[in-house]
Amino acid sequence: MDLPCGTRNYDYAKDMAILRTRTHWALFIGLLVIVFTAPLYLGNYWLGVANLIGITIIAVTGLNILMGYCGQLSIGHAGFIAVGAYTAAVLTNRLGFPFLAGLICSGFTAGFIGLIFGIPSVRVKGFYLAITTIAAQFIIIWIITHWSVTGGFVGISVPYASIGGISFKGEASQFYLIMVITAVCILFAKNLARGRVGRAFIAIRDNDLAAEVMGVNLLHYKLLAFFIGCFLAGIAGSLFAHWIGFLSAENFTLTDSILYVGMVVIGGLGTTLGPILGVIFIRLLQQGIMYISPVLENAFPGLPAGFATGVGPMVFGLVIVLFLILEPRGLAHRWGLFKSAYRLWPFSYCLDIT
Amino acid sequence: MKNSRHKLVIGVVALALLIAILPVVGACATKPPAEGQALKLGLSICMTGKAAEKGSPMGHGKLDCIKYINEELGGVEGYPIDVHWYDNSYDAAKAATIVKKLMDEGCLFFTTNASAMMTASMEIANRAEFPGLASFSSPACTHPPKHIYAQMPDYGDDWAAFAKYYMENIWQGEGKPKMALHLLNNSTGYGARDAARAGADALGIEIVATEEHAATTMSEIDSLTRIKGKNPDVIFISSTPAPTAIILKNAYELGMYPGVAIGCAHASFTKALVDLAGADIAEGVYGVIPAVAWGDDVSGMAKMIEYCQRYHPEDEGNTDYMISWAEALIDAEILRQAIKHTDYEVLARGDVESWRATEMNGFRNVKGYDVEGLHGPVDFSNPEDRRGSKSVKVFQVKNGAITAITDWIEAPLVKYEDLEWFGK
Repeated sequence: MDLPCGTRNYDYAKDMAILRTRTHWALFIGLLVIVFTAPLYLGNYWLGVANLIGITIIAVTGLNILMGYCGQLSIGHAGFIAVGAYTAAVLTNRLGFPFLAGLICSGFTAGFIGLIFGIPSVRVKGFYLAITTIAAQFIIIWIITHWSVTGGFVGISVPYASIGGISFKGEASQFYLIMVITAVCILFAKNLARGRVGRAFIAIRDNDLAAEVMGVNLLHYKLLAFFIGCFLAGIAGSLFAHWIGFLSAENFTLTDSILYVGMVVIGGLGTTLGPILGVIFIRLLQQGIMYISPVLENAFPGLPAGFATGVGPMVFGLVIVLFLILEPRGLAHRWGLFKSAYRLWPFSYCLDIT
Repeated sequence: MKNSRHKLVIGVVALALLIAILPVVGACATKPPAEGQALKLGLSICMTGKAAEKGSPMGHGKLDCIKYINEELGGVEGYPIDVHWYDNSYDAAKAATIVKKLMDEGCLFFTTNASAMMTASMEIANRAEFPGLASFSSPACTHPPKHIYAQMPDYGDDWAAFAKYYMENIWQGEGKPKMALHLLNNSTGYGARDAARAGADALGIEIVATEEHAATTMSEIDSLTRIKGKNPDVIFISSTPAPTAIILKNAYELGMYPGVAIGCAHASFTKALVDLAGADIAEGVYGVIPAVAWGDDVSGMAKMIEYCQRYHPEDEGNTDYMISWAEALIDAEILRQAIKHTDYEVLARGDVESWRATEMNGFRNVKGYDVEGLHGPVDFSNPEDRRGSKSVKVFQVKNGAITAITDWIEAPLVKYEDLEWFGK
């Protein structure tokens, strides 16, 4: 039982509580203070990075429900994000929908498209399912670039998000909007995972035949996983559209889809914390390596041509490879070990962390 | 004695006048920079990623030229250019964060080399009134005109210039010539389609087929067979070198070429196309390029080649290196105009006032700038036309070499934003 030392469950409410101890509450309040005062000490750039992280957390949380909990491999997630983004763009730009209506419709549209591409999951799994989701990526992008409503190859502009007359124009106001929606999505995913639906997903992931024998309806739950995963992708897409302001199909590539899978794996499959840690790690690593090339080029002008610019991607790949070798169960597992080590602190030497 | 006293009085008066005039003269001239003062320029370059084949030489050309400006020319009006550059890896999300970073760092404007990366950055920049300049651009970057400028004509202008040349110099038949379009499935290809849609009727050209291909295509026999069925007089290809080479080879295999005239947009019409397709197959193919050929006798060529050979010899002969070198010269001219017409303190703030000053006093005062002959003259003074250079040359492959067959041809401004179908 993964409980802090001395904590016991005396009723169901305590058993189900996410924040159990004073330390939990203190950490939670500290996190809230840090997050919501961030615009006071972060510039536009870091707020922009934080916004991108928040949006990506929503998308990867959806992919984690699909892949980490239900075991359905999807390599077309950027396509589903594109569906949400373009739905928001068309509804708010061309049809004058308010932001919140566009946001919800984006989620549902991406969810329904996800349902369609999830149907093969009833018959195929593993690599075969991965191929069908790659097809989703290509088909969705083809439709977007060839359908006049979406602006085709020219693209489409997206207005600022606004709620009740309040327009989210600045990076700071967008930050608050994105963080609130991200928090709601994480809470939703957390509760989903530890409820009946989440347990059904885990049963399917671990052994779908055994799950079916126990009465889990495979068709229903697999499609539900696709719907929820893609719904969250649609929400992320809508936020991305309003944040970036102009959409082009080149914003949603297969490379992005693969990167999202990498984020889930690095963060830790099948945990709520995993996508958060995985996204923060990868996005900050991407920003970090951005500095390497200019610094190397300026500091060592005698380096062979192309070396300085090639170092960034090499470092990125090397860090991921090393990470997977040293911590294949993801950052969430590492965080669990860290917490365990301090659970009986200062007597943690006797702790069985397995 | 009286004479020397007279001279002394004149001398004293002259000295007094000189001292009195000095501050006025000083006020008229650009103030010399103090220690540490510089003009900040932001670059978002795809040095790595899937467009690195173009981004890498363009990054080298740009940084080499700024090194030349700072070290040999003493900067811009004495102010060194302080370059803030980041590799966007051809990743839209990264490009969107980089533009914010460049704004935070107080850059006066930013540049991108790829149209896709400008597309990802432009709305953020437009909303903040942060000016941007794109080397390669599609019509969406500059239509409607906001705060984004283009170094050269866009992919649509290539079609317009070639079509005009074709009608005036190649087409000998009667009635409307039939044209087929073969387009890369992104903004490079579809920029040409939009121009054809906007201007074909006016030029008296009938578009009989529009086919598209991927950058990774291995064969275009099927699409060319469909085109062949429409019996076109001319095929226009807007793509990159590798797919264009495959289209040329397939057209040759199908017996379509030689026979029909083939024209190419500038993204594909490079030495790599002739190498990939083979000189015998590419012979006679037309292309449109918005720059001179490498090694042409223009004033800026020798210095550029010197720097290329010294720092990046692997890029020698690469048109992208040259285009980016030229863009750095334009950047310097924009900064020169900005510092000539604005106090340094305003530009040093790096805020929206600095950006407005850079745009109004810098960009808008660039009028007929020569770019040392490397491409057509640059003019940003027309508020409705965000293209710097409007000129292209038509080239033809002759004896395996890409040879200019026209002088500069000006591509007319197409006001896409006024067309009902644009972006739909």
